[in-house]
Amino acid sequence: MKITKKMTTLLLAAAMACSLTACGSGKDTIRVGSKDFTESLIVAEIYALALEDAGYDVERKLDIAGSVVHTAIVNDEIDLYPEYTGTGLLSVLKMDLITDPEEVYRVVKEEYEKQFSLTWLESSKANDGQGLVIRTQLADELGIYTISDLQAHADQIRFASQGEFDQRDDGIPGLEKVYGEFNFASSKVYDSGLKYQLLQNDEADVTPAYTTDGPLADTEQFTLLTDDKQMWPPYYLAPVVRDDVLAEHGDIADILNKVSAALDTETLTSLNAQVDVEKREYEEVAAEFWESIR
Amino acid sequence: MFAEMAGYFQNNMDDFLRAIATHAAISALALFLAAAIGIPAGILCVRHRGVQRWVVPLFQALRILPSLAVLFLLIPVLGTGLLPALVALVLLAVPSILLNTVAGLLQTPEFMLETAAACGMTRGQIWRSVWLPMALPMILTGIKNAVTEIIASATLAAKIGAGGLGEIIFTGLGLYRFDLLLAGGLTVALLSLLAAGSVSLLGRLLMRYKYV
Repeated sequence: MKITKKMTTLLLAAAMACSLTACGSGKDTIRVGSKDFTESLIVAEIYALALEDAGYDVERKLDIAGSVVHTAIVNDEIDLYPEYTGTGLLSVLKMDLITDPEEVYRVVKEEYEKQFSLTWLESSKANDGQGLVIRTQLADELGIYTISDLQAHADQIRFASQGEFDQRDDGIPGLEKVYGEFNFASSKVYDSGLKYQLLQNDEADVTPAYTTDGPLADTEQFTLLTDDKQMWPPYYLAPVVRDDVLAEHGDIADILNKVSAALDTETLTSLNAQVDVEKREYEEVAAEFWESIR
Repeated sequence: MFAEMAGYFQNNMDDFLRAIATHAAISALALFLAAAIGIPAGILCVRHRGVQRWVVPLFQALRILPSLAVLFLLIPVLGTGLLPALVALVLLAVPSILLNTVAGLLQTPEFMLETAAACGMTRGQIWRSVWLPMALPMILTGIKNAVTEIIASATLAAKIGAGGLGEIIFTGLGLYRFDLLLAGGLTVALLSLLAAGSVSLLGRLLMRYKYV
């Protein structure tokens, strides 16, 4: 086992050395990947613009299915992409749930280095995790700002589910374990594309959502409830980079850390909103944002 | 798989039964409304050919719209829940009832109507005793088609909060859980068969004269 592992490493190293010396070209070309949804596209595009500004040639390999993007970077098809700490912990490393954001970041950074020779650069303050959204009007009326408040007022709440949320371990069953029982006045299943419309039209009060969903930028209508007992794992966004690329181009870390420092949950939500709600092109939104922070 | 299904039924029997009840209720209501629109409209079409010229193409055109599209198109007008689900299902079911009613009435041989008239039957008597009974098998076929379509499509109602077995199916899809998909899907299939069987049985009862 050990021998084969060593052999493969040697072979890989040899292959890499060959490709570097033989082909030579593309030495300063950084391949930026992304997953196949708005947020990942925007952030990857910002990474790309930041690298281009620093003089790198960037090859954009965007829109990779979320389930294969990790394989792509391990197989040396891309050099870096934006990943979520929670996804790294639960989906890639398949480790047990941890909810403390810093602990999650520390664990994934350590394990990625050990298992895949990948580096997690500094984490942004943008958390795209699971959340619950309430109509702002009702939140103000009943004073519901946290999930504990929601649990206390559940009997006055019409809940709009997507079905799976009622069954998933990190859905209602998980919430009830941490917060106690939710006796909603009513709970109906809807298509997830309708959730914000339902709240807007006063046909439901609370619905599950992701914490950087574009519509959440409109805080007059929607309020994100605080997960005050921290039941959901954090999904902070950070660049994952191949070690060999970092070794050769040390300044990539500084360039991307600057981007991460400028990203927090509200900023990312508003960037998503510009693409998903205002229907602008993600390249344009990314370029504008990069202009504002460079 | 079966152990999972058994587990599901053990924990969610109430939800499951409620889903069946909602599904059956939506379907029954939609079928009733579709028949209440389709059969009279079919009779009207045969009586007044001018009406047929626009009613039949209208419903055929409406039928082309996928039910899912109808559901979502209706949301701005009717909101979510039972009402838009019913409208979509009725639109889906009316054409097969309407067209079968028209076809059934038109295929009644002319000589039978003439004979009836020659026997001194009034218009009403001809309708009641000759025309409708002659067309009945076709009308029932239309209803049978309609009811299977309604029960299958009523699963979509779960997308807009009207409930039913679709809730279980969509939950299963979201979670990639085959036990839920099977529990929901097989029950819909069973419900369809049951409903189609009931319509056939109704036909046998209504047309006992054929089976003497």
